[in-house]
Amino acid sequence: MVQEAKLHNSQLAERAGRVRRNALVMAETQGQGYIAQALGVADVLSVAYFHAMQVRPEQPEWEERDRFLLSVGHYGIAHYAVPAEAGYFPEDELTTYAADDSRLPMSGMTSYTPGAEMSGGSIGLGLPMAVGMSMGLKRKGSKSFVYILMGDGELAEGPTWEAAISAANYGLGNIIAPVDFNQVQADGPSMKVMNTEPVVDKFEAFGFYVQRVDGNDLPSLVAAFDNAREHPEPKPRIIICDTKMGCGVDFLEGREKSHFICLGDDDWKRAYAALGERSKA
Amino acid sequence: MSGADLKQMKTTKKAPDVTASAVDEGHRTVPMPFGHALIKLAETRPEIVGMSADLAKYTDIHIFAERFPDRFYQMGMSEQLMATAAGGLAKEGFVPFATTYATFASRRCYDFMSQAVAEQDANVKLIGGLPGLTTGYGPSHQATDDIAIFRAMPNMTVIDPCDAYEIEQMVPAIADYPGPVYTRILRGNVAKVLDEYDYRFELGRSALLRGGRNVLIVSTGFMTMRALDTAKELQADGIDVAVLHVPTIKPLDETGILREVRRTGRLVVTAENHSIIGGLGEAVASLIGRSGMGVELRQIALPDRFLDAGTLGVLQHRYGISRAAMCESIKRWL
Repeated sequence: MVQEAKLHNSQLAERAGRVRRNALVMAETQGQGYIAQALGVADVLSVAYFHAMQVRPEQPEWEERDRFLLSVGHYGIAHYAVPAEAGYFPEDELTTYAADDSRLPMSGMTSYTPGAEMSGGSIGLGLPMAVGMSMGLKRKGSKSFVYILMGDGELAEGPTWEAAISAANYGLGNIIAPVDFNQVQADGPSMKVMNTEPVVDKFEAFGFYVQRVDGNDLPSLVAAFDNAREHPEPKPRIIICDTKMGCGVDFLEGREKSHFICLGDDDWKRAYAALGERSKA
Repeated sequence: MSGADLKQMKTTKKAPDVTASAVDEGHRTVPMPFGHALIKLAETRPEIVGMSADLAKYTDIHIFAERFPDRFYQMGMSEQLMATAAGGLAKEGFVPFATTYATFASRRCYDFMSQAVAEQDANVKLIGGLPGLTTGYGPSHQATDDIAIFRAMPNMTVIDPCDAYEIEQMVPAIADYPGPVYTRILRGNVAKVLDEYDYRFELGRSALLRGGRNVLIVSTGFMTMRALDTAKELQADGIDVAVLHVPTIKPLDETGILREVRRTGRLVVTAENHSIIGGLGEAVASLIGRSGMGVELRQIALPDRFLDAGTLGVLQHRYGISRAAMCESIKRWL
């Protein structure tokens, strides 16, 4: 956001907590969903929106804004929680998540979802889209950055690497790509489904400025996003964020099958309680 | 060459025409009409940028790249990246003209065109060279299904221009249209035919190029050139052929087509350089079906199969889209 003053880590933590609460509200509405990812990535998104990015919630089309692309469309549940907290749309609207005629479908659509810069969902579109927008911003002489959130499973998509080659070839230093490395994808543990490691070496070899951080540690994330903005070389920037699925709700953290979770009534109460919140439903 | 000559035509040992344009004997040609039209337009339209996936030289956009080097993005052999990045450039207010071969534009880029361009209504112009059967290279390069693919994609406008005269007019027209467009192009020395017919390209409009009492050919792409030549040839046999040119296959000019089809007593034939499935012929067939007119329709189109490699003249005749094959088919159907 456009910061009058940078938020303290404690304030970021409060906002990340509310983002988690918002995600639970959406998931509870449907009784199921990508809850663990939302809880895991809440800190990354909070630092992106409330610390790093220049945006104006009251003016979503502000030309000088930093762009945010959600490549992993099913993270809508995590992403909506952030613009709701940032003020892009009323928090009450979160309870329409995934309902008929809602502006907040499971995977956000640029044509009608507030704050959605791209229609994600088809995994692997994000980094190529970021390349085009980055080229466009540079053509216009813009100082804006393109933030693009990918998942770890997405690193197996070919177009991600087509885009990586070209981002380095064109020196697209205005791309900042956090990757939610939560180690889980649809068919199981990410590195068992397809081992993409060593990712740091790979992206360095592709010409990126690479950082790898604990994606649930706010000071580390703040430093990494600051470094990414300030890095002097004209290289695309990637931040591998090692996150914990279900972070903040203990009984979800260790859960083996956590890509898409269904919870019973008592579980929702326990989840809110773990966050120090109460169910709004 | 007469139909009888072509029937006897021997297969040749000549290497396949890999990047040939489809110019029939006796037609004037214009070099690189797409590239020149894009340069002319870009002189006054700074938002226009060019892209190619390592086929700039073979889609005539290399002359744009030479004229405006800082407005051209070489994307390498990465068609999916090119389609999606074009969507990103369009989001930032630019109008990308992105070129590759029609096979790669359609088959390789499908999901990317669907989700990064069409669904987001991005102002991207995707240009497909080597349309239909215009290369003897074989199925990897013969785009026999590109129109079917893009017709099925919501928000897409789909065009198959006939000649250089049309390409020159189409380029500024699609730049003015604020949405995604897929168009085939002919490259190299391209026939110039339609200037003889007082023709004006209008997006979404068909044009009756000549009237005729016995046959109505509804054609698109360079098959309109063949339809006009066929009409001239059949005139000598006392067969009067009308030609309705339909460059925009989606959205289809339903009113214009039905107006001509409604005139009874004529054999109605569609002609296209595309598979018999999913192209102009089937679009017109479903239109006629929905109209309740009960008109019989014949299709001149490529068969539903992977085509042979070889020389273009032999292959186009083998699959029924040469002028001689058209004449024979129409006579047989009358």
